[in-house]
Amino acid sequence: MQITINDKIIDVQGQDTLLKIARREGFEIPSLCWSKDARHKSSCMVCAVKDLSSGQIIPSCTSKPVEGMRIDTQSEEVMQVRTLSLELLLSDHRADCEAPCSLVCPSKLDIERMLNYYDKGQKEKAFGLIKHAFDLPKLACENCKAPCEKACRRGSIDTPVTIRKIIKELTKVVDATKVDEIENVAIDKTKFQSRLGRFCESEKARLKETVSTPSNCLHCACAGKSACQLRTHATTHKIKRPGYDMSSALQVMSRIKINDTMYFEPSKCIRCGLCVYNSDNGFTFKNRGFQMEVNLPEENKKNIRVELASLCPTGALYIVEN
Amino acid sequence: MSQCNCENNDKLSHHEVMAKMDTIIDRIGSSRRVIIPLLQAIQDEFNYLPADAIERIYERTEIERAQLISVSTFYSQFRHIPYGKHLIKVCAGTACHVKGANNVYDSFVRELKIKTDSVTTDDKLFSIEKVACLGCCTLAPVVQIDDKIYGHVAPGKVGELISEFIESNKAEEEKTGKANEYKLSGEVRLGMGSCCQASGSADIYNELLTKANELGIKVDIKSVGCVGVCNQVPLIDVVLEDGAVKRYPNVKASEIKEILHHHFKSGSLLRRFKNSIINHVDNYHTDTTWNNVVWKSEAERTGLINSFLSEQKHISTEGYGFLAPLDLDEYIHHQGFASLKKVIAENKPNQVVRDVLTSGLRGRGGGGFPTGEKMKIVASSTQKDKYLICNGDEGDPGAFMDRMILESYPYRVIEGMVIEAFATGANKGIFYIRAEYPLAVQRIKRALELCRERKLIGRNILGSNFSFEVTVFEGAGAFVCGEETALIASIEGDRGFPKQKPPFPAVEGLDGRPTLVNNVETLSQIPYIIRNGANHYAETGTENSKGTKVFALAGKIKNGGLIEVPMGISLNRIIDEIGGGVEGGEQLKAVQIGGPSGGCIPAHRCDVPVDFDSFRQMGAMMGSGGLVVLSESDCMVDVARYFLSFTCEESCGKCTFCRVGIRRMLDLLNRICSGSAKMEDIDKLEELALNVKKSSLCGLGKTAPNPVLTTLKYFRKEYEEHINGLCKTGKCKDMMQFIITDDCTGCTKCAKACPVDAIAYEPYKVHNIDQDACVKCGLCVDECEFNTIIKVPVKQEVYANND
Ligand SMILES: Cc1cc2nc3c(=O)[nH]c(=O)nc-3n(C[C@H](O)[C@H](O)[C@H](O)COP(=O)(O)O)c2cc1C
Ligand code: SF4
Ligand code: SF4
Ligand code: SF4
Ligand code: SF4
Ligand code: SF4
Ligand code: FES
Ligand code: FES
Ligand code: FES
Repeated sequence: MQITINDKIIDVQGQDTLLKIARREGFEIPSLCWSKDARHKSSCMVCAVKDLSSGQIIPSCTSKPVEGMRIDTQSEEVMQVRTLSLELLLSDHRADCEAPCSLVCPSKLDIERMLNYYDKGQKEKAFGLIKHAFDLPKLACENCKAPCEKACRRGSIDTPVTIRKIIKELTKVVDATKVDEIENVAIDKTKFQSRLGRFCESEKARLKETVSTPSNCLHCACAGKSACQLRTHATTHKIKRPGYDMSSALQVMSRIKINDTMYFEPSKCIRCGLCVYNSDNGFTFKNRGFQMEVNLPEENKKNIRVELASLCPTGALYIVEN
Repeated sequence: MSQCNCENNDKLSHHEVMAKMDTIIDRIGSSRRVIIPLLQAIQDEFNYLPADAIERIYERTEIERAQLISVSTFYSQFRHIPYGKHLIKVCAGTACHVKGANNVYDSFVRELKIKTDSVTTDDKLFSIEKVACLGCCTLAPVVQIDDKIYGHVAPGKVGELISEFIESNKAEEEKTGKANEYKLSGEVRLGMGSCCQASGSADIYNELLTKANELGIKVDIKSVGCVGVCNQVPLIDVVLEDGAVKRYPNVKASEIKEILHHHFKSGSLLRRFKNSIINHVDNYHTDTTWNNVVWKSEAERTGLINSFLSEQKHISTEGYGFLAPLDLDEYIHHQGFASLKKVIAENKPNQVVRDVLTSGLRGRGGGGFPTGEKMKIVASSTQKDKYLICNGDEGDPGAFMDRMILESYPYRVIEGMVIEAFATGANKGIFYIRAEYPLAVQRIKRALELCRERKLIGRNILGSNFSFEVTVFEGAGAFVCGEETALIASIEGDRGFPKQKPPFPAVEGLDGRPTLVNNVETLSQIPYIIRNGANHYAETGTENSKGTKVFALAGKIKNGGLIEVPMGISLNRIIDEIGGGVEGGEQLKAVQIGGPSGGCIPAHRCDVPVDFDSFRQMGAMMGSGGLVVLSESDCMVDVARYFLSFTCEESCGKCTFCRVGIRRMLDLLNRICSGSAKMEDIDKLEELALNVKKSSLCGLGKTAPNPVLTTLKYFRKEYEEHINGLCKTGKCKDMMQFIITDDCTGCTKCAKACPVDAIAYEPYKVHNIDQDACVKCGLCVDECEFNTIIKVPVKQEVYANND
């Protein structure tokens, strides 16, 4: 049969979806809740296209072509729908892509990563980063007003992480000459930055109770950011801040350990359902409407395979090396 | 999941729970797809879903934890915590909402001292819940405690109501104790449906109890579903053993004894009365003198009954007022099943499909898709198994037509179903009925049994070689399951996520088989079409909308109730001639039609004819048939917000625009209603609404913005006033406050009435309201005899400008 995509006439055979056909023909369409060869149900609407024959906006990832169909994948209207779907998802996404402290350091030290090594007891690695970022032996912190500590999220809970003190301590306990530099990758500020926003009182109380690390750091940066498509699409769609009020029914900053290497963070989940449809008695949905969440019952953790992490389009489900 | 580890109510031992569970599982089955019936049975048994009972499911059935959590948390029927002994359901349906249901709810919570994060009293005696439409909108606001219904509940009278309930409940327990010793000789239904119990029902109820005892008559007294004319209350139905009904509208306590005496003396008398009812709608509408019971003329009692009926036309509700719901002989006597006999005798299934096409019948479930077309698709499939589903999920919070049809005319729906099955070659039928409609479920089940005995369903229907099996499936409380693909998902044992269409269910539905889904009312029109001919049917209605439509007329209307009108009649005629005009002589402001999917049609456009297309053109929708009349004292922004908070809760949650988009629209509306919004927020709301409509995946999300879009279209000025801090009707509580003017005489009544002691008791002085403490319940206003307590806008400048 014949269909038209953006004025290009295309012959199609078989049962491919519009997404597949369009991509094959070189038209770019983003997707989140769809993944190759995985079971899925359309939900995110990031792959929206317009069926010009019916005037309807449809998800290309499940829609099949019909004879004579005319599809628009790139008009302003379609782009606007995609952008809005991302904005809506992000308004229900209370999480930081990057740690506030790292974002503000004038010497571009990835403080959160440094603290991460520190908290794992890998002080040499922590120092390796500092060595790469700073012009040692001079400590950049000495003439700095320490915006990092002002920005520190822990500060709104009890007291900010004593970043400068920790850096100083590291320079003392680590033998600078014996430590290899570790490349400190400066944060790419051209990328979209999701931000968590303010904690409410109950969140503060919970985090104060539950998060205790040697440095006291909450580790705000998203551990799953390297594979996050939500962020990628938000960047390409030039989203700065979600245009709507932020609120979410999901618990912020809660990390659920699934097994030795896998973690699940509900507040980063966009409820695409890929992990639900592709695990067998593993992840499940709970509740409905805005309250709907993805849930992993304790008893089902054993049914989760590591490959599942790569399906998750966000940083909600990820693997931690070493 | 955080499993509930609460112990179960009745303190059953683990062993007993397991034994009960095994019985339930043995009865219902152990496959994945029986999960909903299984959970319903467990909840019936234990009153909630106890954790140890759930564990037994994992041990003994195919159902796994993931599925169980997914399903049991999707449907609102299922409870994971035990409830109190009595359940208070405060109706939050549309009609009740516009009449102040929220105040009633708050009063209960206050009166019972229920804590903010709980729904149950500390002594575990009462639990409270908001529910959608209890089906007696004309008595709004309505509250149901267990199976007793109370109408016109004033927030200030909640305390009395609770004590009254506790007392009548005691009486009831005594009664049940005694009644068990005898065989019941019939039943007396208090209320026309749920309605009539409500208005002054307590007196009637007590009178029935005492007089029944006095006379030594053993009758079951209960409340039942609605059959229309809800304004004729209190009303009792006397139901005799064979299901015949005698109805007494506007009954008085003093008349009870005579009525009981009359019906429950001897069997031969019962017969006599039954016969006297058949074909006498007039018994209901005209004067009757009966022994000592002197009936006032109906006009005197109600004034408007005749005009209430004059504009109506009964097709779905044919036999209105006299058909005994379960009397099969009577139904047959009135040409029931004649159409089925006809199509089977002629044996031309395709002709039936053509007839339905010719009739122009369009689906009454909301979409208005031509029924004949859908039948044609299913009929054309060569698959061996085909399904037919009767959609009785009716979730519109302001409507109860389908419930009434199922309860009162079960045979008509069954007949329509069998005819369609015959025409399309479907061999399996399912009644999908909301679990909130227990009487409808019970009636349909019984009606199906009786039909099976007469070979009207089952194998070899009426001796032909056509067979059609029908079962009943009870929905578990999810508006979205009215959507056909979600409905099918729930029958298959999943959460009610709608599926992408195409493929349509008519091509690929339940279990992948062609499935014809039709609404209750659609089906109930079929026998008429076959019997009287498609062309005759098509004479009624407009060019593109044929036949009649049943509406639940409620809100600010003098004579509300269930009405069936020919398509093409104007809304104005419905309101003025059938409904007797707006209640309390107020001005008509708008009519909300189609519930959460529909819109508000402003008064100046109410000359619009009832018609699928003309409603759609106005941005509204026929929907299922809720018709809520709004008057000057209703705030349109609040109405829009009301519907949106409904759809926000009922969204299945699958797709972004509906799950998050509606929530964000609601955020904006909440801001507008609290006076903290900016002018740009209106545009933002509109833009978002248009996008949600455009980009949601199923009908719920696609229509949910309609109430907002229509009110924005016709009442934008009202939105703007809200931004400026003024809600003229005073419905938006954050924007108004009560103040006491200097005319106060210091009578102290208001101080005594205030439930939160916001008014200090100061005899002979001008009283004062502590605004921080005031919960704006308005009880003081009702109490003040000097009308010195007035509503004013909170924002001073607005107050000044509007003086
Ligand atoms: C959110 C939503 C709720 C619906 N609720 C109902 C309902 O309660 N009853 C009903 O018959 N149809 C309902 N429908 C329409 C059904 O999907 C379906 O179109 C209808 O049952 C078909 O029957 P009909 O052709 O006889 O109208 C609903 C649709 C949507 C999108
Ligand atoms: S999941 Fe993606 S968008 Fe969200 S915080 Fe992580 S990287 Fe940022
Ligand atoms: S105090 Fe040190 S770590 Fe903090 S911002 Fe300044 S230079 Fe960076
Ligand atoms: S809590 Fe840790 S990661 Fe977050 S801002 Fe403070 S130092 Fe940075
Ligand atoms: S955890 Fe990831 S894969 Fe699973 S639903 Fe959430 S976003 Fe999708
Ligand atoms: S529009 Fe709403 S109800 Fe329909 S599929 Fe999407 S989320 Fe579910
Ligand atoms: S990728 Fe198509 S709807 Fe999510
Ligand atoms: S009974 Fe409350 S809205 Fe119908
Ligand atoms: S609290 Fe008494 S009327 Fe406001």
